[in-house]
Amino acid sequence: MNANVTQISEQNVQVVKKPGELRSKFNRQKAVLLLLVPGLIWYLIFKYAPMMGVLAAFTDYGTRADISFIGIENFQQLFSSPGFWGAFRNTLLISFYNLVFYFPLPIILALLMNEIFRVRLKRLIQFVVYIPHFFSWVVIGAIFSMMLSPSEGFVNQLIMALGGESIYFMVDPKWFRSILVASYMWRDVGYGTIIYIATISTIDVQLYDAATVDGAGYWGKLWYVTLPSIKGTIATVLLLTVARILLVFEQVLVMYVPPVYSVSEVLTTYSFTEGLLNGNIGYATAISLFTAVISTILVIGCNKASKKFLDESIL
Amino acid sequence: MASYESSFLKVSLGRKVFIVINSIILLLVCLTVIVPLILVIVTSVSPDEIVARQGYVLIPASITFANYLSIFNSGYMPAFYNSLFVTICATVVSMIMTLIMGYALAQKDLLGKTFFVRFVVATMVLDAGIIPFYLVVRQLGLIDSYLSLIIPAAISTYNLILVKNYIASIPESLIESARLDGCSEMGTLIRIVIPVSIPIIAAVTLFYAVHHWNTYFQVVMFINDSSKYTLQVLLRQLIFQSESAVSSHSALNNFKMAVMIMTMLPVLILYPFIQRYFISGIMLGSVKG
Repeated sequence: MNANVTQISEQNVQVVKKPGELRSKFNRQKAVLLLLVPGLIWYLIFKYAPMMGVLAAFTDYGTRADISFIGIENFQQLFSSPGFWGAFRNTLLISFYNLVFYFPLPIILALLMNEIFRVRLKRLIQFVVYIPHFFSWVVIGAIFSMMLSPSEGFVNQLIMALGGESIYFMVDPKWFRSILVASYMWRDVGYGTIIYIATISTIDVQLYDAATVDGAGYWGKLWYVTLPSIKGTIATVLLLTVARILLVFEQVLVMYVPPVYSVSEVLTTYSFTEGLLNGNIGYATAISLFTAVISTILVIGCNKASKKFLDESIL
Repeated sequence: MASYESSFLKVSLGRKVFIVINSIILLLVCLTVIVPLILVIVTSVSPDEIVARQGYVLIPASITFANYLSIFNSGYMPAFYNSLFVTICATVVSMIMTLIMGYALAQKDLLGKTFFVRFVVATMVLDAGIIPFYLVVRQLGLIDSYLSLIIPAAISTYNLILVKNYIASIPESLIESARLDGCSEMGTLIRIVIPVSIPIIAAVTLFYAVHHWNTYFQVVMFINDSSKYTLQVLLRQLIFQSESAVSSHSALNNFKMAVMIMTMLPVLILYPFIQRYFISGIMLGSVKG
């Protein structure tokens, strides 16, 4: 709390001239500031205390009765463990596929939806495509397991009707990562369009008229008016996506089964298994810390890239 | 001045072809959402003999609600009530915490406002990970208590920001006049701010309710007592594991799909409202960054 107080007074030094004014402002706002307290305590306990908790990464917490500081031993163990490298590789692959195959889709879908001029058709499409976002990963997993069931599932019946052989999608290591990406797409592609549609709707129609006068056709308007206008939004969404990209967790935890562990164990599920099921708290925290560090590097890198290529800095 | 829409009337043939293909593509996207849902619903009301033969049913031949009746007498019903109980409690706690903090943060000349807002927003990017979070909850002695599903998930920073931005857009004169009339801060919040913030409150309540209903890994992580499991955990066991806490036999698809409908039920019922509020909610809340 001490840090908060210094920060507050520092900020107000420039604005408030007399220290007496600061005190009277504090007195006036006492009641409002009191309302902040429960929330601030909540943030300290459930958001900031766990950040202190990463110090467990440097201890042997969980393996022995008395906890002792062991320096970077957990990390040495981590970097020499094939399980860790497998999980790291899977995380990067799944994230990369999500970025390449999922990320552009909401932009394309938003542009296509923007070309529908019948209001009722547009409303119908919007009503339907947002639905899956509100289902839990368990429900999404169950729906995919139903659609992809080897003998009775819709997809395999289609494959067999076309003369193909049924595929055990959910337990086949060759297919499982594609299933993860596909289920992610199915759940969020509609929802992902909202922000783009909102941004497109704020574009000034005069820009389009001016482009028409200048002889721009349909593609010209798309390239010179629409895309530049949503550039900032794309950069923001990209940054938020990258910030979470290594944190893919619940989806995998719900959908993976032993035959596909080798291709779908990610850093978060690895940490979860090591920490909660095997009790290696220190080691599991080291995995979390490693993930957090890489995430931060990715976010900063992404911000730099967006500054360079799109002239947009989000942070 | 010709607007973008009116120029649509005098379109070329190529453009017309595009419009038709575009509509077809988007309707196909919709079908990928609708077909699985119809399969789930129709299979859940189909009789055993049809399901045993066909697996999943798209077009209903005959309808029975036997599966839903057997759910009523099964171990899934207590789990349904558990889910409902946790969702209602957690949503109430979430709304109280979010409204109080959102109201305080929305004050224009709040002492240290920039710091407090950054303090909150920073947690959207910084994440300590699952294990440190688990340790905090365990330290508080919440393991195996429903409080572990209610308190640690009480605030969503995103929802908090939506509420804060909405309240900040309320004319200050309204709040000032209440204060001059001698209203306490809580009084102002309850009597003045909440009544004019109904749209955002509705939107955020729905977000929280859906979020709490859908909670899965927190239950797996914090609850060991299987009688306290929520529906999400049991559905996961039913679909992905051969043995579960409540049924050991392999159930037919119609029973599985009926359990699935139960798990989706609140979302399906609330969806028309969610749909109406969540776009406007996002718009309303983001008027001011």
